[in-house]
Formats: sequence, C-alpha cells, structure tokens
Amino acid sequence: MKKITVGIVDYGVGNHASVRHTLNELGLRCRTSDDPVVLDGCDVLLLPGVGAFRPAIEALRARALDRYLLDRADRNLPLLGICLGMQLLAQASHEDGFTHGLGLVPGEVVELPAPHWHIGWNTIEQVQVDPLFHESDGQSFYFNHSYAYRGPIEFQICRTNAGEEFASAIRRDRIVGVQFHPEKSQAAGRALLRQLIVGLCDA
Amino acid sequence: MLKKRLVGVITVRDGWAVQSFGYRRYLPLGHPEKLAENLDRWGADEILVLCIDRTRRNVGPDFDLLRRLGSLGLSTPLAFGGGIRTVAEAGAIIQSGAERVCIDAALRDAGVVGGISALVGAQAIIGVLPLSFDGAGLQRLDYLSGRSTPLTAADLSLFDRRVVSEALIVDWRHEGMTAAFDFNLIRRFPAPDVPLIAFGGVSEADQLKMLFDDDRVAAVGIGNSLSYREHAVQMLKRQAGGTSIRAARFVSDSR
Amino acid sequence: MTEPAMTENSFCRRCLYSIDHPLGLVLDEEGICSGCRIHEEKDRLDWNARWTQLESVVRPYRSRDGRNYDCIVPVTGANDSYYIVHLVKERLKLNPLLVTYNKYFNTELGIRNLANLRIRFDCDILTQNVNPVSVRKITGTTLRQFGSVYWHCLAGQSVFPVQTAVRYRVPLVIWGAHQGLEQVGMFSHEHEVQMTRRYRKDHDLMGVEAGDLPSVFDTLTEEDVWQYRYPDDGSLQAVGVVGIYLGNYVRWDPKTQHELMMSTHQYRTGRFARTFDCYDHVDCFNYMNLHDQLKLYKRGYSKVTDHACREIRHGRLTRDQGLALVRYYEQRPAENLDLFCEWLGVTPSSLAFLMDLHRNPQYWRETAPGRWEFKGWSSASGAAAAPLEDVRSCEFTATGKVDTRERRSYIVIGKGYPT
Repeated sequence: MKKITVGIVDYGVGNHASVRHTLNELGLRCRTSDDPVVLDGCDVLLLPGVGAFRPAIEALRARALDRYLLDRADRNLPLLGICLGMQLLAQASHEDGFTHGLGLVPGEVVELPAPHWHIGWNTIEQVQVDPLFHESDGQSFYFNHSYAYRGPIEFQICRTNAGEEFASAIRRDRIVGVQFHPEKSQAAGRALLRQLIVGLCDA
Repeated sequence: MLKKRLVGVITVRDGWAVQSFGYRRYLPLGHPEKLAENLDRWGADEILVLCIDRTRRNVGPDFDLLRRLGSLGLSTPLAFGGGIRTVAEAGAIIQSGAERVCIDAALRDAGVVGGISALVGAQAIIGVLPLSFDGAGLQRLDYLSGRSTPLTAADLSLFDRRVVSEALIVDWRHEGMTAAFDFNLIRRFPAPDVPLIAFGGVSEADQLKMLFDDDRVAAVGIGNSLSYREHAVQMLKRQAGGTSIRAARFVSDSR
Repeated sequence: MTEPAMTENSFCRRCLYSIDHPLGLVLDEEGICSGCRIHEEKDRLDWNARWTQLESVVRPYRSRDGRNYDCIVPVTGANDSYYIVHLVKERLKLNPLLVTYNKYFNTELGIRNLANLRIRFDCDILTQNVNPVSVRKITGTTLRQFGSVYWHCLAGQSVFPVQTAVRYRVPLVIWGAHQGLEQVGMFSHEHEVQMTRRYRKDHDLMGVEAGDLPSVFDTLTEEDVWQYRYPDDGSLQAVGVVGIYLGNYVRWDPKTQHELMMSTHQYRTGRFARTFDCYDHVDCFNYMNLHDQLKLYKRGYSKVTDHACREIRHGRLTRDQGLALVRYYEQRPAENLDLFCEWLGVTPSSLAFLMDLHRNPQYWRETAPGRWEFKGWSSASGAAAAPLEDVRSCEFTATGKVDTRERRSYIVIGKGYPT
C-alpha cells in the first residue's frame, strides 16, 4: 500500500505539533504548508483551527487558500476539518455577527445554548452508518468549543449530547468535519484519525 | 453525556516542577515536560500547568516552557497559567498549543479578562480561586499579599456573567496534605451554576468519588501525590470507579 | 535552571548543595535546602513503626507455596547491596531473586564482593550481559552527545530488575534508598514513594530513554537499545509490578550500614583518589574516576560533595570540614582512563577532547589553550574551610583495593570467581 501523505493546511492559526505527532506515530507522512504546490502533493488535507471564526476565514482568504480548498473539493479530493476547521466547512457562522464560511457542507454554525460552551470529554453517537466512524461509535473525545454546526441531518454522521444535542461529526462525500480534537483525545483520537485518513483516501 | 475530568496538575516554580504544600513549602520533582509526558501516557483527562512565581516576578507567562510542552506533541488537553497580564499574552498561549488559560491575579481586572474572553472564548478560560472556609463563610486568598478577604458577589461576577467558564477552587490551606480537601469550599460556593474544578489536598479515591458525585464539580485536580506511585492516574480511576469519568487505560507497546 | 553566577544565596546554609543541583533543590525561607529538611525526618520519625509498616507492605507478596521468589532485589558488588539483602533475607525473611547488570567497568573487588554476597546470603542471582558491541556503541554515542559514559549502566541497572519482575511474574522489586529523597529531599519518607518510569527517565537517565537514542543519534539502531526499554504499562499492570524503597522504612545511613556489613558479612572496601568515602562504588573503575570527572565538568561539583553533604547531615562532619574535603578531593586526577580508552577504542587525547567539549561554561573558563579555571560550586560556597587535620570524625576504612596493580583490567563477568 502506498504511503499516505497528509497535508496540514497552515494558515497562521494555531499550533500543529500534536496533530503532526499523532500522524507520525500512525506512520503517516506529514507536510505543513500554505503553498498549494506542496499541498497538491498530499493525498488528504487536514484543516485545523483554534480561536474565532472570522479571523480564521480571513486568514484563509488572505492566502487564497479558500479558493484552493474549494477547487480541491471540486476535484473530489479528501479534506478533514478539525474543531474550528470543521466549522469553516459550513456556509456561515453566527459568531460575532454573520460570516460566510467555505460552504463545502450545507449548514451554519450557531452558538451553543446556555452556558454557551462545551468543555471536556464526551461521547459521539453514530446517527448514520459510516465505516469511517463505525469503530468509534460511543467513544469519548475531547471537546472545547462554544459554537456548533446546525444543518441538514443528511450531512450529520455523529451527534453528541451536551445538555442539548449537536452534530459532532459531519460529512459530505470526501469532506469530513469533527467538532472535537482527535489529536487531543489520546488512544481513541489516534484510532479515529487513522480510520478517517486511511478511509478517506480509499473512499 | 459529558464526562468529569481527572486533571493532573503540574506546579512550576523557577522552571522546576515542584510539590507544593500550603502555598508555602516546596519539594523538587523534576522537569515539567517529563511530568506532562508521563501524565499523557497515563491517560489523565487534562494536564494543568501552573507557573506560580511568574506574576510575583512580573515576567509574564513562561512561553519557553509552553513551547517545549508544545513540541512534545501531547495528545492530552493542556491548560496553562501563571503570569498572564494581557489579552495578547492569553491569545498567544492559546495559539501555542494550550487549549485553555488559567488566570489568578489577573482575575481581579475585569477589563483584561473580558478582553481575553472576547478573543479566545469563555470555554478557554479557567479562573483560579484560592479559598478557605473560616467557619462562617468562604474567604478568597490574594496570594501576592497573603491576605484573605470574604468571597463576594463581585468576585463571582465574571463567572456569573459567563465571561469565564470554570472556576479552579484551590484549597490552599490543605494543599499537599493527604485526604484533606475541605468540602465546604464546594458545598458553600455561592454560585451553583458555575462548573468547579476542585484542587488541593485531594489524594484518595474516596474523595474523588465524593467530588465526582457532586453536580457542581466538573473536574478534580490532583498534584503532588500523582508522583508517588506508578500508574497513579489509572489506579485512582479504577478505584473511584463509575461511569462519570473515562475508564483507566494501560498503554501496551508504548513508544 | 538558573543561569546567573552563583552567590552564597545559591547554597544551603547547612550542607554544600546549591540550587543548581541536577535533581532540583529548593531552599526555604531560612536558607535550608529540601534535602536537609527531609533528612531531619530521620531523627523525628518512629522507625519502629515504619518497620512495622514495611512488614505490612511486603506481606501480600510472600509466596504462598514457596515455589516462586517473593521479590526481586537489584544488587551490585558495592553500594548498599549487602545491607539491602541483609534486610530482605535476614530481617524480613523474604526469598529474593537477586539481579545484577554487567556494567563492564568491573573491578576485581567488585566481582569478589558480588560473589561473596550471593554465597554469604545464599541467594539465587541473575546477571544481565548486554553484548559488548552494543554497549560500546551506546557509550560512544552518549559520551559524544551528552557527556555521559554511564548511561548504559544507569539504564541497565534501573530496567533489568523491572523486566525480570515482568518476565518471572514476581511483582515486588525492592530497592535501597531513593536517590532523589536522600540527596535533595524530593519526597518525604512518609510519602512512601515508589519506583516510577517518570523518575527513571527524568533523573536516572538524564531525560533520555532507550527509545530516544536511535532517533537522535543515527549510528544506533533498535537492535542496540531494545534491551534497555522499560516494560510497557500493560505488562507492568498485568503482573502488578511495584517497586519499593527500604529507605522509606529504615533510617538510612550508608556509612554505618556498610561498616556493619564489613564486620558481619565481609564486604570489602577500597580507597579512591577523588573522595574520602571508601565504601560506595568500589565495584567500578569509572564511577569515581572518569564519570566523576565528567560530573565536575558538566555540573560544577562531583561525588565528594554528595559524600560530604551526607556526612554533614549525619552530624559526622561540619560544613567547614565538608568543604575542606571537597576542595581537597575534587580536583584530583581521575584514574584508569587508560582502561576506558582501551575498552572503547579511543585515544587518550580524543577522550580528553570529548570531555572538554562538555565543560559547562558556567563553571569552567579556558584562560589559555588547555588551561581551565574552575568556578564551580566549591569556589562559590563562601564558607571558610576547616583545616583538613580536623576531620578525624569521619573515617572510612579500606579493607581491600579498588585498583590492584597486578590485575588492572575490566573483569569479564561470566567467568565466575573462585571462592
């Protein structure tokens, strides 16, 4: 089997050491870059993110990475969004006004109901059969967010109960987003990350 | 449902990980990175690194340490605190690989905390409250002056208004003592909706169980005693039992 | 962790340690260090009660059918091994499996002591010999990269007993004193600290585990280092491995203990060039020589300071006397470097070159090519040293010779030793 290369989209936001470390432990090759030429050489892209929505989407736009990611999606190339990276996949976010996202997965990002945050380890429950998430059904992952995706049920693979339910994993074809941090979820996160990356490359 | 967390606390003083006793006495432990890496392997639910001498020396957060911790590529959520003075410093910590910041001295400056909250979100802020119970009510310690004053509504305003998500309740008097955490600090905490992290004098599984059974407690922090035994985290998880926390795990074929 | 120059305030007022101690050292408001404070417990704790506690700790591990060992006891031909085996076998009446790691730098005295140990105490013993090619490769690498010739010894001595516990399904490992507790007061005796992988990596191995060596140093491969890997958590947990320290339950005093073992069990001792202690490390050509020289280069102090601090705390030396001894011994030339060069396959000048690379500029200043000025701990300790004639109170007796001129070579373990 050809060795998979994962491209971490570096748009100046956040720290990627944990993701890189997990990918290396999984025996996956890893490139961190904002250069489309480098990212073109990768089998699957990973879109991380931490902090607020607007600065993140603006950082992507400033590097023309929004158009690049849309272009890759048009060519049906796989993309995995993590935490804020998942939120960026949506059409828009209501955080601090209204901001358009990448629009790769229909739906919007809205504030969680009071107390307006979700911190800690919580389980994900599959609501649609999907081989990528099957093994991880019912496992705990680390969440740390105050906004969440709300959209058509057909794009929701897993949901999580934080007082109220929200989508913890979404998917449209080869575009996947997870609201939690697999790179901060120890063994469960490692296993899921492997499943997602290998599975998306095979899909 | 959301699980409760067993948090491994690493107290750092002058660059060294130390055991802390009653905010007064210290014994050396080693390099903070080695303790963090160990907690990560053991499966702690969160790692909390507190650099306790930074504010007193007014040197800001220890970004060097944070960088070294970041380069470990830990797969456990990290909270980092000590010496945070400005919004920019807090923002830089979050961008450097820590999930959350801990604020103690700066908690008294509502403007700064508000700014941090706007930048990184309330979920990324833990407010530290060193408390004691004097028989009548709760007292809050100002560790810089060493003076305790009654805990007031003003102290809790940032939590009530949800500018800060969780409160780290530190039983500073009993810190470092075996099985000594004062439950009054939880029972008598005046804001019932604020998720609490209990810390200071927690060492035994039965304390852990009692704390996890309390609705107000979101997490329990343990410091010194995690360094006295192999697999301390796993043993506590096993003995405290229950489904409210993630199960213990023993890594096989570790790196 | 601190870079600025040492002042008197960097030092404990009671012993000779400074806050630059590699294990970490904390000074309290009175200027007394954590090591001295924890030492005070030795005169405060009820040791009878602690012995009773020890008996209850080991009780569940006694083999019910006498068909397996009760515990694993790591030993060498020196240090506290005799006293440890005495406590385990003769006082606790446990049935131990002794384990020892061949460190290669073995003196005849050490081999003799080890043979005498197992015979006098009538114990079974397992020896781990890692092949010489790997050991040389590792030692060459650790010397070059972080100035240590002892990494393989520390790694082997600290891991082989744990591996044996897993392989033989004997969960209890019994050690003597906890170095962190004894030197810098890392723990209270009452914490009853147990063996952890974290301590081993952080302190015994200077932050470098076996798994870290090949990735940093290209010449080493997994084949060379796998023997030094710590058992994984799953394996430890399946057997229930636990490591305890007798020093948490017994008032630890190495000088007194060694003298007892010398008189009751014929433990033999010898003199060194670089310290006044004749009882520790007599089994090794390098620990008190090459290794000690490197310690002085890297840390600004050497083993004689550890010995002096220990004796100061036990009330057998004053601080002034301790400092006088340190200043007398720490610059003495290390011996037997030729044997090491022969073993490793390097010339004396290339060894000297490698060693100089690891001189810490905080403690050494090259004033002219090849000439070094020492600004280490003893030069900043401040106290006026007592005249050396005053140190009769702390005499160590040599009953053998570390370095027997007739047979100066590393003794190969496996040939056995005639009783």
